[in-house]
Amino acid sequence: MSLFLLTLGFGIVTSAVLALAAVGLSLQFGVTNYVNFAYGAFLAFGMFFTYTAQSALHMPIVLAGVFGTLATGVVALVVDTLILEPFVRRGTSGFFLLIVTFGLSLILLNLVQAIWGVGFDQYNVAAGSPITLGPFSFTAAQIGVVAVAVLTMVAVHLLLTRTTLGRAMRAMSDNAPLARATGIDTRSVTRWTWFISGCLAGLGGITLALNTVEFQAFTGNTFLFVIFAAVILGGIGQIYGAMIGAVIIGLVVNFAGMVISSAYDLDAAFAVLVLVLLLRPQGIIPTLGKA
Amino acid sequence: MGVILGYVATLGVYFFIYNIFAFGLNIQFGYTGILDFTVITFMAIGGYMAGVASLGPEQPGSDIYYVLGLSLPWPVALVIGAAAAGAAGYVLGLIALRRLRSDYLAIVTLAAGSIVYGVIGNANGLFDGFEGLVGVPQPLNGVLKLSPNSYTLFFLGLAGVIMAICWFVAERIYRSPLGRAMRAIREDLDVAEAYGKRTFRVRMTAMVIGCVFVGIGGVLTIWFVTALAPAGWGTSETFVVWAALIVGGRGNNLGAVVGSFLVAVLFNEATRFLPAIPGHPSLISEIRNMCIGGLVILTLWFRPQGAVAERKARFFEIPLRPGALDEAAKSVPAMATSGS
Repeated sequence: MSLFLLTLGFGIVTSAVLALAAVGLSLQFGVTNYVNFAYGAFLAFGMFFTYTAQSALHMPIVLAGVFGTLATGVVALVVDTLILEPFVRRGTSGFFLLIVTFGLSLILLNLVQAIWGVGFDQYNVAAGSPITLGPFSFTAAQIGVVAVAVLTMVAVHLLLTRTTLGRAMRAMSDNAPLARATGIDTRSVTRWTWFISGCLAGLGGITLALNTVEFQAFTGNTFLFVIFAAVILGGIGQIYGAMIGAVIIGLVVNFAGMVISSAYDLDAAFAVLVLVLLLRPQGIIPTLGKA
Repeated sequence: MGVILGYVATLGVYFFIYNIFAFGLNIQFGYTGILDFTVITFMAIGGYMAGVASLGPEQPGSDIYYVLGLSLPWPVALVIGAAAAGAAGYVLGLIALRRLRSDYLAIVTLAAGSIVYGVIGNANGLFDGFEGLVGVPQPLNGVLKLSPNSYTLFFLGLAGVIMAICWFVAERIYRSPLGRAMRAIREDLDVAEAYGKRTFRVRMTAMVIGCVFVGIGGVLTIWFVTALAPAGWGTSETFVVWAALIVGGRGNNLGAVVGSFLVAVLFNEATRFLPAIPGHPSLISEIRNMCIGGLVILTLWFRPQGAVAERKARFFEIPLRPGALDEAAKSVPAMATSGS
């Protein structure tokens, strides 16, 4: 029983990490309507910007995290403006955009590795004694991860429902040509979307690094298809679906690790992905015409 | 002299092997439009299966563990490797080739590749985990008793013959009714379906044939290197094959050959012999990977059709019956001239 609760606790933390990353991917996917295979590299940028801010610039971890998050948003914005946007404007089909992002992931991951090296790094976070919350037991970092995720989800919800930008993003996600016809500046909305998606990727990378403790350039990329599993389970471009998907996949991964072996825990996410594609490819919350 | 000859022959073998990979991906992506982002996984499956089929039973106490160990002759091992890669492609196709958006297909192939990588790496009893197989017997090496350099030349010939057969088969498929159905599906799946093509079956055929090709390339790889470990088939290796096809020209086997030469040989293999930069042992491979990614993006921007463009079929190229072309030209003169 205690093993079950302990695993549930870890599952909640994994879900929190996954929710941050999945919402960022799903937001961009919904608005621009193509998948970004370089997303795993954005996670790596978030991890390492924060690492440098903390170890070289001696910022406290929270400030370093904010810096890493915003800097990754800027990287995503630059990548979109310089490379992806020209392709989209030229009318390149989604097919070739996928190959472009696949190539970008190779470039960016190797760039991260060239700058920060191949070895494993870790943040300087005091481990502290575990904090007991009801039946669960967490480290301070894990509680921080969950709190950040919950706050971010609330913020994303408010962004999408209460702001003009959020409404414009939802409009573009539903029907981009129509959104343009009604006078929405789709180019600036797209750029904001990439910035926010990058920030969420950075945050996902930082929390992933806090959760796994040791990380290197390809840690985020290994996690990428787990993020895809959560996004597809939730339904393409569905933000709330991505949150639900993240919780389900996070729990499945941890319980599979408990039952089978932690070497194969990510395979459980793949099994869920396959089942979803076979049984309900439109996801939990379907988007019309997007399956 | 001997050293240079051996070096050139080695590059030649890699050139032929990458040709076969690129033909396989060309059948999947270039002909049919299937985004297979895990090409190299099928190379690994083909190579490993041929390896364990031709290796002897595992030796107790040698710390090398693997399944089978059948000591089969090399032609049988080649067939086993190719068939295993094809079967793996079939299983992946069952999941990925359902009528879903192409992004899903790409995601599933990428995820499946990462799973297979993890399983083969972690399951030590399968193909010796991350250590990988070593000492795989080379075809006829025990019989011919050649010096290493002469054997490399012999292997170059063997790989060349297999590559030529693959090229011939790929060209025949391109010109066959099956190949036309594949290209129709690439251009528009719904239209092909409306004309009564069994799109799932055609796409699955392309997937399996492509994987068999890549598997054959994998068998040649493990024969030539005599070893195979997961470090040799990461995602960046998949991208080298993609880069070869995109840069050379997709949908076009000559383009696949040109691309293999430019990317896989000139760029990828030749730069492996550059000395490492002191203090940064992996910097050269990182720069190489960045350049290959950049090369693909620049090609897609400046010359999306690749170095050798696919020759597009003309409208009246295939007359339905004798004289149909002349009649059509007479009745609709505008169409016959603007067909291209």
